[in-house]
Amino acid sequence: MSSLSRIGAVVAKEFIHLVRDRRTLAVVLAMPVLQMLLFAYAISFDVKNVSTVIIDTDHTPASQAYVRSYQSSDFFTVVGTAGDLSAVDRVFDHNQARIAVVVPSGFGRTLADGGQATVAVYLDGSEPTAARVGQAFSTALNQVYGQRVTIEWADTQGLDVTGFGQLEPRVRTWYNPEKRSSDFLIPGLMVVIIMVVALQQTAVSLVREREQGTDEQLAISPMRRWEMMVGKVTPWTLLAFLDLAVITVVGIVFFHLPLRGSTLVLALGAALFVFCSLGLGLVISAVAPSLESANMLGLLLSMLPAFILSGFAFPLASIPVALQVVSCLFPARFMVTIARGVFLKGAGFGELWPELAALGGYAVIALGIAVVLYGRRRR
Amino acid sequence: MSATSAPAIEAAGLSRRFGDVQAVDGVDLSIAKGAVFGLLGPDGAGKSTLIRMLATVLNPDAGEAVVQGFSVTRQPGKVTPLIGYMSQKFSLYPDLTVAENIDFFAKLRGVPKDVRHTRMHQLLQGMGLDEFVDRQAGRLSGGMKQKLFLASTLMHSPDVLLLDEPTTGVDPVSRREFWRILAGLHRQGTTVLVATPYMDEAERCTDVAFIDSGRIRHRGSPEQIKALVPGRLFEVRAADPRAALAALHTLAATHALRGLLAVHLYGDIVRVLIETDDAGSITSALEAAGIGADVQPSAVDMETAFAFLAELATTP
Repeated sequence: MSSLSRIGAVVAKEFIHLVRDRRTLAVVLAMPVLQMLLFAYAISFDVKNVSTVIIDTDHTPASQAYVRSYQSSDFFTVVGTAGDLSAVDRVFDHNQARIAVVVPSGFGRTLADGGQATVAVYLDGSEPTAARVGQAFSTALNQVYGQRVTIEWADTQGLDVTGFGQLEPRVRTWYNPEKRSSDFLIPGLMVVIIMVVALQQTAVSLVREREQGTDEQLAISPMRRWEMMVGKVTPWTLLAFLDLAVITVVGIVFFHLPLRGSTLVLALGAALFVFCSLGLGLVISAVAPSLESANMLGLLLSMLPAFILSGFAFPLASIPVALQVVSCLFPARFMVTIARGVFLKGAGFGELWPELAALGGYAVIALGIAVVLYGRRRR
Repeated sequence: MSATSAPAIEAAGLSRRFGDVQAVDGVDLSIAKGAVFGLLGPDGAGKSTLIRMLATVLNPDAGEAVVQGFSVTRQPGKVTPLIGYMSQKFSLYPDLTVAENIDFFAKLRGVPKDVRHTRMHQLLQGMGLDEFVDRQAGRLSGGMKQKLFLASTLMHSPDVLLLDEPTTGVDPVSRREFWRILAGLHRQGTTVLVATPYMDEAERCTDVAFIDSGRIRHRGSPEQIKALVPGRLFEVRAADPRAALAALHTLAATHALRGLLAVHLYGDIVRVLIETDDAGSITSALEAAGIGADVQPSAVDMETAFAFLAELATTP
């Protein structure tokens, strides 16, 4: 009886477990598609059409012209106008608007006198993304509008300001010109799902052997520890790659995700990342005292870092430095960079080798720790 | 033929501690080939720990054990192919069927495919499980689970069986059937070490050892164990057994009843161990104390033997 047939016996057994456990099977197979639908349609980080209420207490042609600049912008949807400031509280409380723009009386006269007119912009901070973007756009809008007013004023005074070096920024977004969330999220989602499948399931399935007492029966068989581990992780490796393929195909076909770079680099990165996740899963299964704690630890070490500390949902540069350091302890951030690089930037081995090397190193260390922990059989 | 006369299991000074608890404390043990050796003792006495060390799934802190000539600490890989081990907890996969469980473990143990097939059906048929081959193990009754576990343990034809309370929580009919199967294995020459909290099962063993607080207190054949009990056993039936028990304790303390060794309550019967063959002395002593009782001589069974041996050990 060779190692290979013993490993084969374990793999076959694992697939029987999987087929009998309909819930886990459904989760593993349906999760990628469900999450993609969720992230691509329901959750969007695109900020558009921020509901805005306008309070114009000036009622001059100048104030009306200013208000029109909001109405004509894509970023603001003017949902109503009101007569006085007390309306701000009301519309915020009823979630009717996220932004209130107040044009004070005397706005038109101040401008006509060549003075600096002020407008008040109130933001509903309970939805920070919309508020932050709304602030940025209203500031920009004010600048543009202010500039136009200045030029108009200079014109009426017979001055020529065109020679004063006007600066006009032209912003172009590369790689994802329409700034679609789905392009940005799907490569990251891939990382989350691989991590959950490979890490969580590995951790849980090994601890289950211990809780069922079957590990003692395995211990008195001629099967060696590593044969058992290989047999255990093989099905989850296959499923992780299946999920990866499903996400890639669905992403390309339904979400028009571009695949610009080297598929080989993506596959290599994914393979290394799967090994990292398996290693972490094995470490968890070695230290977790019970099935519940293995589940919790698995969730904690797969979902959280993959979502928060990988650049998947929040740019790594915008999280605190301490957390940026912590993020290096999890392989997800490297894989997110690789996935986005390959899909969106058309990157290949030349650009992504540092991340690939990091994953490779991580995999060796994680699997090494797992082997040491399992070698020290606590009995 | 010195090889056959060598013991199947030999332990010397075997010890294991868990935290502050000395689970097994310097156990010396020798079990002859072909014996059905009963390891008796209350919960927490150290039965499981001892068996797990012999099965190589637990390392001893001190001492050594040899199973079929191989050391459990230095040659566990040589021991495991020769043993079958049933842990106290049902340790097969509940979601796998009877056949899948047996086949998986037999495959790991290197039993060839054709042998696996014929032996599985032979074993399941012998245990009355053959109609349940496709049932998931988790859906079997307690007794059937234990028989399945035993069948799985027997697939590679082990020389030595280590069974940790295989009949605990099993109904009386299944228990009897389980022991019938063990008797069959005994006839085939398999050495069986079986831990049990049931004293009636001890009667079916060729040898027994009584373990308490990690130490073996008594050992021998059931007859030898029973012979260790001194004096004669009488059963006292009274209208108020507790009053009779109290009266007998008082009689012993005041030396009004000579030769009284031990007294204990067994259900509604007071069992008295005394250095006399005369039932009349007990009857008259109780009458003098105002208690009417029927006193009959009785034979020492294993249960009584261990109860008295434990009592005699604590009250010298």
